[in-house]
Amino acid sequence: MIELNEQASTERFMTSRQMAWFRFRRNPAALIGATIVISVTMLAIFAPILSPSPQSAGSFVDFAHRHHPPSAEYWFGTDNVGRDIFTRVIFGYRISLSLVVGVLGFAVPFGVTLGLLAGYFGGRTEFIIMRFTDVMLAIPPLAMALAITAVLSPSLVNAMIAITMLWWTWHTRLIFRIVKAQMSEDYVEAAKVAGASHAHIMFRELLPNCISAISVKISLDAGFVILFGAALSFLGLGVHPPTPDLGTMVSTGSEYLPEFWWEALMPGLAILYAILGFNLLGDGLRDMMDVEV
Amino acid sequence: MAFYLAKRTLSLLLVLFGLAILIFIIARIVPGDPARIALGPLATANQVLEMRHEMGLDKPFIVQLWDYLSGLVQGDLGKSFLTSRPVMQDIAQALPATFELVLFTIILQITISIPLGVVAAIYRDTWVDNLSRIISLVGVVTPGFVLAIILQLVASYKFQFFPVTGRIDAGIDYAATHTGLMILDSIIDGRWDVLGDALRHIILPSIALAAAGIGQVMRITRSSMIEVSGRDFIEASRAYGIPERVVRFRYMLRIACVAPLTILGLEFASLIGNAFIVEFVFSWPGIASYGVRTILEKDLNAVIGVVLVSGVFFVVANLTIDIILGFIDPRNRLREGAEK
Amino acid sequence: MDSILDISGLNLSFTTYGKRTQVLHDVSLRVGKGERVALIGQSGSGKTVTMRAIIGTLPIPPAKIEGGVIQFEGRDLLQMAKVERNRLKGTGISIIMQDPLLSFNPVLTIGRQMDDIVRYADVRLGNKRKSSLRKATILDTLQKVRLPDGAQIYDAYPMMLSGGMRQRVLIAMALLNKPRLLIADEPGTALDVTTQKEILKLLNQLVKEENLSLLLITHNLGVVREISDRVYVMENGYIVEEATRKDIFEQPRHAYTKKLMTSVLPLYGKRVRNFENDRQSDPKIEIQGVTKEFRAKVGFFSKKYRVVRAVDNVNLQIENGDIFGIAGESGSGKTTLAKMLLALHSPTDGQIKIDGRPLSNFSDSREFRRLIQIVYQNPGSSLNPKRTVTQALTVPLKFCGHDSTKIKSRISELLEMVDLPKSYASMYPHELSGGQKQRVAIARALSVNPKILVLDEPTSALDVLIQNTVIELLLRLRKELDLTYVFISHDLSLMRNFCNRVAIMFRGQICEQGETREIFTDPQHVYTRALLSSIPVISEQEEQQKPKVTDAERQAVLASSTALK
Repeated sequence: MIELNEQASTERFMTSRQMAWFRFRRNPAALIGATIVISVTMLAIFAPILSPSPQSAGSFVDFAHRHHPPSAEYWFGTDNVGRDIFTRVIFGYRISLSLVVGVLGFAVPFGVTLGLLAGYFGGRTEFIIMRFTDVMLAIPPLAMALAITAVLSPSLVNAMIAITMLWWTWHTRLIFRIVKAQMSEDYVEAAKVAGASHAHIMFRELLPNCISAISVKISLDAGFVILFGAALSFLGLGVHPPTPDLGTMVSTGSEYLPEFWWEALMPGLAILYAILGFNLLGDGLRDMMDVEV
Repeated sequence: MAFYLAKRTLSLLLVLFGLAILIFIIARIVPGDPARIALGPLATANQVLEMRHEMGLDKPFIVQLWDYLSGLVQGDLGKSFLTSRPVMQDIAQALPATFELVLFTIILQITISIPLGVVAAIYRDTWVDNLSRIISLVGVVTPGFVLAIILQLVASYKFQFFPVTGRIDAGIDYAATHTGLMILDSIIDGRWDVLGDALRHIILPSIALAAAGIGQVMRITRSSMIEVSGRDFIEASRAYGIPERVVRFRYMLRIACVAPLTILGLEFASLIGNAFIVEFVFSWPGIASYGVRTILEKDLNAVIGVVLVSGVFFVVANLTIDIILGFIDPRNRLREGAEK
Repeated sequence: MDSILDISGLNLSFTTYGKRTQVLHDVSLRVGKGERVALIGQSGSGKTVTMRAIIGTLPIPPAKIEGGVIQFEGRDLLQMAKVERNRLKGTGISIIMQDPLLSFNPVLTIGRQMDDIVRYADVRLGNKRKSSLRKATILDTLQKVRLPDGAQIYDAYPMMLSGGMRQRVLIAMALLNKPRLLIADEPGTALDVTTQKEILKLLNQLVKEENLSLLLITHNLGVVREISDRVYVMENGYIVEEATRKDIFEQPRHAYTKKLMTSVLPLYGKRVRNFENDRQSDPKIEIQGVTKEFRAKVGFFSKKYRVVRAVDNVNLQIENGDIFGIAGESGSGKTTLAKMLLALHSPTDGQIKIDGRPLSNFSDSREFRRLIQIVYQNPGSSLNPKRTVTQALTVPLKFCGHDSTKIKSRISELLEMVDLPKSYASMYPHELSGGQKQRVAIARALSVNPKILVLDEPTSALDVLIQNTVIELLLRLRKELDLTYVFISHDLSLMRNFCNRVAIMFRGQICEQGETREIFTDPQHVYTRALLSSIPVISEQEEQQKPKVTDAERQAVLASSTALK
């Protein structure tokens, strides 16, 4: 027998919002994550203004200054044709973030909708959707993405397509689990008794209960999409040169190991920095959300 | 128990079946003529036609699908254009190296992440916990190839502890004939020099490959342990006077390791994917290197073969995890098969 | 009398989110040797914390013992070395946990869990026993709790046992190491009232047979009357009253105790409120020969079905203006029947008519939904936690065709009807208390102006002091809006004071129905009699008026709590 306290909310010494904020404040990781993400976004958006040598992002060459180590003038050093690596890195962030927006922009709505449909209708619908998801999940993502980009030609768009094709599956599975658990809650039946349409129940009753999980996942996903995209371009299947892309930069840079180590390491650390930010932010959100639920 | 296994195996076979068809369809609808690609841009129209006939591309779609599936069941994956040998043979040659690497990595992951996660949960909010969270974070956040490069830079170039690339020294003359796994075979044969060398070669790629999984699994282990420790029956056990170490390691751990093991199973898919990168950086002669080469050369049959084999790996790994979980938590098998 | 447990001046605080709250204020209580003492309190009173402090399972960082003494057999537990204190767990002081389902380790067999308890007690006390001897002790203890099939239970998993059996096993687990003080946490609360009665009887027997002292933690006054000699009443961390059992029921002194006493609804006697339906009575709902079968597949491949007959040939007539109660324990089929009234299930056989029209004709029309609505038991799950009150109330209005411009004013109207301030419209459920949430649920049900309201245990999840305010609200609404209620519950005391007509369900069938007063004062069917006689009441007079049932009769109808599922 459950017993609920009659103590009115005004008597409670803290509202749940205050509790959530308290946890966020005490969680330095979340704050750091948020700062990093904001910094990366700003760098990417304002790249032409913020970069020391915007021409390095194009087909600029300066053989006199090749392979310079990091210095006051070239913060990250120069690459094999004399371009400023720092500039190329922040322009590279543009590619990374476009990848994130493109992939998640398609994968999330698609995956979430499928998960909602499968969880709500159950039965045959569930079987078809979830078996399909299982099959897609069984494909090793990198192998598939490689296969697709190899057969189509290497480009940012194709890389996006390849990743999106597999990415939605995680969201479907996540949403499906949540929805399935919620279906046995009375409020779903109450909505049916009130005459609500299927669409209303799915999108207005069930979906709000998934939002916190989705936000955490999107945050974490952003990091992984960047990682994935970098991996693809590292293997030579990303954008064409001379467009600066972090993965390609690591790849070309690695040819000059170990003497000109900065050419591979700096872009690599830049990737790490971005992923770190999204990850910490996602974790922080997760800690916060747990309190409210 | 047997019933439960049969059910799981059946559903996994279905998944494999669907996978095979899906890959086939993707391969066929992708633009570009495989025959032309195989022959190169200088081929004449006649040569292309001949090649298409040889590859069976002029047959109706359904017939092609049938040939493909029946071939699969017999273990025939078609011929590679690059090497003109059966794909199966090429793969079989490259597979043991990857298998060894992946196996070593998984063992590394389990032995590091689960104990560390448990310790972090027990000593929650102390320096041990914080340190482990940092390690886990680094693992999750660092892309495999970046870690590989850093490891190479530091351990190989700078400090010369470990060799930079390869599976075994070029100078050593040894063939792994028993299991295909260098480490096991050298122990069987008593060749300690080979063992030492093989270990030195496998450590770095393994760490690079294991890092992300370690991070994930450790974190899940920790949170799983914390969640289980809050459950009623754990408090009850303490109230009955059961000593803390028993409560932790026999009660809590057994239930808490369900979540990490499940994640480990899912990790496997990305492990195979990451293996591609790591094998590339360390020039490890495995299926991933083979895969990357054939993909870049657009060797269609080989690509299909590689993707399929990876898929099979994943599916088998999941089945194994399910079996283990079935032992650990009898509710799974009781729920599904029982007549309650 | 010698004390086995003596707590004096216990002060305890909890620190959460940086703020420290005092949870126990100067708590003192005593349990004599062989005595049965009850600690009464509602949720939040501090009774659970007290219990944990005695046993030693308080999480000490957030909790802090500010002062006081807990003496067990003369020695202060709080001053003892940890090792010594641990030695007493299970052997000196033992606890019977509250929830029979969650208190077991789901992945180990019962035998294994019990063996661990015995084995580690041996280790702590320095005994050495072989495993066969331990098993003998375990089987022996299972016998003591009247479970005949000890060997089978030993090898079973917790989920294979029924609730009543699990409770008995929990008692056995507490007795394994021969403790002197037994602490029982809400014994039998999660069980059917008939099973609960057996458990309480068992506990009384064990206290005598094993020479135990008992500390009982509960909120249920009826239970207190059945199984205690002395009583302490706790409110908000204070002990507000201490008395013998006789005195506390006949002459309660503290205001809080008096409030508790009056909030318990009487089953018999002068205080009973009889409810009459003074309206013109045409049958509103006719349930004719309704049966509902559910099919569950047996095994994965076989085509065989197992048929569960949840509702079996039920015939009822509910008249306009009735508050019609459908009573039964879990598994009786009452909830399934209620859901059929709302067309959430369709009958396998028979039909239901409302106002003379068969449900199947118009059950998916708006008209139907404007006719009959439901209020669920637990407002925590019947209100979407992510939707505000306004959003929740808008749903039925919108989908039943209410004029969209008038929705806002209608919502204000509804809130006023259920005595909630208009400002609550923008709040989320977690900002409201249990009683307030249930009012919102009632407002939601009434938003489309139904004529019939199905109430599925509407007050069971609420604190007993709040229950009555919700009931008063429902009575008032019935008069104002001309409603008919179908009231589903297992709480017969509530039904006696609220419904004018009652039907008792047992295993899917109606075993008795009629005017409430008649059924309660002169029950005919053996199940009704067994049910009524199991209800814990709070006065001797009431006890006398309960129907008498022999053991044989009881065995015949009750779900046995001693056989495997």
